[in-house]
Amino acid sequence: MSPITSTNAELELPWNKVRSRVPRRYPHLVLAWSLDEPERIGEALPIERATSIGRGGPLDDDPAPRTSLHRIRPFSFVEGPPIGSARISRRQLIAEPVGEDEVRLRSVGRALMRIGGKPVTEASVRAGDVVEIHNAAVFLVASRPLELPASPPLEFPFGAPDPFGIVGESENAWSLRAQLAFAASTDRHVLIVGESGVGKELSARAIHGLSSRRASTFVARNAATMPESLIDAELFGNVKNYPNPGMPERPGLIGEADGSTLFLDEIGDLPEKCQVHLLRVLDDGGEYQRLGEAKTRRSSFRLVAATNRPLEMLKHDFLARFTHRIALPGLPDRRDDVPLVLAEILRRTARNNPTIAARFFERRSGQVAEPRLAPELVVRLLRHPFTHHVRELERIVWLALGTAEADYIGITPAVEAELRDSAESASESVELDRETLAQALAANGRSPTRAAKALGLKNRFVLLRLLKKHGLSVDAEHDG
Amino acid sequence: MSDARVLRETLEIVLANDDTFPRRFYEVLFERHPQAQALFHRSSHTAQNKMFAKKLTALVDHVEDPAWLERELTTLAANHVGYGVTPEMYPWVGEALLATLREACGAAWTADAERAWTDTYAAMTRAILSST
Repeated sequence: MSPITSTNAELELPWNKVRSRVPRRYPHLVLAWSLDEPERIGEALPIERATSIGRGGPLDDDPAPRTSLHRIRPFSFVEGPPIGSARISRRQLIAEPVGEDEVRLRSVGRALMRIGGKPVTEASVRAGDVVEIHNAAVFLVASRPLELPASPPLEFPFGAPDPFGIVGESENAWSLRAQLAFAASTDRHVLIVGESGVGKELSARAIHGLSSRRASTFVARNAATMPESLIDAELFGNVKNYPNPGMPERPGLIGEADGSTLFLDEIGDLPEKCQVHLLRVLDDGGEYQRLGEAKTRRSSFRLVAATNRPLEMLKHDFLARFTHRIALPGLPDRRDDVPLVLAEILRRTARNNPTIAARFFERRSGQVAEPRLAPELVVRLLRHPFTHHVRELERIVWLALGTAEADYIGITPAVEAELRDSAESASESVELDRETLAQALAANGRSPTRAAKALGLKNRFVLLRLLKKHGLSVDAEHDG
Repeated sequence: MSDARVLRETLEIVLANDDTFPRRFYEVLFERHPQAQALFHRSSHTAQNKMFAKKLTALVDHVEDPAWLERELTTLAANHVGYGVTPEMYPWVGEALLATLREACGAAWTADAERAWTDTYAAMTRAILSST
């Protein structure tokens, strides 16, 4: 009897294949600003091999195959028309990948190449670096897979807000959309975690909009604004004249959200005893009682809660009721989306303010077109270590508009004072070791706000990020 | 040297001076033919300059691609009719274009360049007018 032989491929189990399948990443040049082709912002030039980059189609004597900008989305990898900017030479750059996140660039064209503000003819750049082609284009170097995470089929124009208002074409933006869609499909309670300004309510609305509950009214409330003595009445409702004479009957947020989604923002501010009161209603039956009523009611609601606090601040059994936890990426985690978010903020501003539109925007065929935006502002925003994310970007935009002296949006002294370089903040983080962080927390009564101030950090979120990085938490005296 | 190469080389020289070239082109056009100014009210000046430079560059880039040129010039012709451009205005634009190119190229402007631009502009105007 001859022995049966198996190949390695046959022996490999399907679940192991899934675990070991990490898509290969390549450096990409993502268009962040373009004088002549602003409609192509967010498109990316993948550098899989040595590549010629320039205006127009392939040339007979190109030193390497030519690549143009692509619109990359889940299940879609579409090469756009050749670069059309008059300021970019027919043969402008030769790019060669060096690993997954580094690319060697050689400038061979008429327009000057700048990296880190300095004119160069040849350089190695890494993910996060910014490449300028003088007065023609700004590219962000990013490391991405060629295929983006699978996501539900959402139809909206490239670079525009999706049907739920989320803006972004980056890997993290699409990964978020995929997570939101999955959570929406399961009808389980969801906890959204993210710093202030990352779009927690937008994400909650997306979950509602993608779920089978979308026909019902979305109920939203900020837990931090509820007076402590009335939290239970707000959540569960009350019968008439209870607990105080003259009180009208109220269904409570839970009753109001029956068949729909209840969004509770800043759930981390809910006192522990109120978290305990919610445990029963968060179980499958959704049972609860209005205050002053013996009858047990049921509400088929889905809770989407959000917090910017460390999860340790929530009671563990309350936390366990949330089947899905979705961590929202901040702008520093999706830098390639900064130009698109900026463009959307400006578009919205122009729509609502004709004076701003007339002063700062081009007009084409009688319509408001692209903003007159200084490339150096985009370069600096791509390097800015955002801590309040979209809200902070919005504030910088308004500051630039309010302090502009000409008819373009650029860096004024007031804007300059707000902008920092992510490299500076990185070096700042390096100096703060684990012990220094732990000591600062202990010396400041474990208050992240006071400890951050004592350490000279911009705000408590910077400290919270550093604590996470070092495996420390605000509460624990002796972290492992 | 082929006409296409002459066109590209001269255009590279003028485009090197950022947006001076399109701005100067409109100055020359409006100085010589002020009545043309009324046609350019739909877009802001910088947007108009950018559109002009981009379109001219694309036409020169594709000068050896007749299929692309035919498609593009047909669209251009239809758009220009909509803007109120009439056949007698094409020589005005050609004259301003040649004058601006001559000025921007300075010593680099040759008889070959003069002939290549004049012939190409005339051919493109014929194509535009024949498709309207």
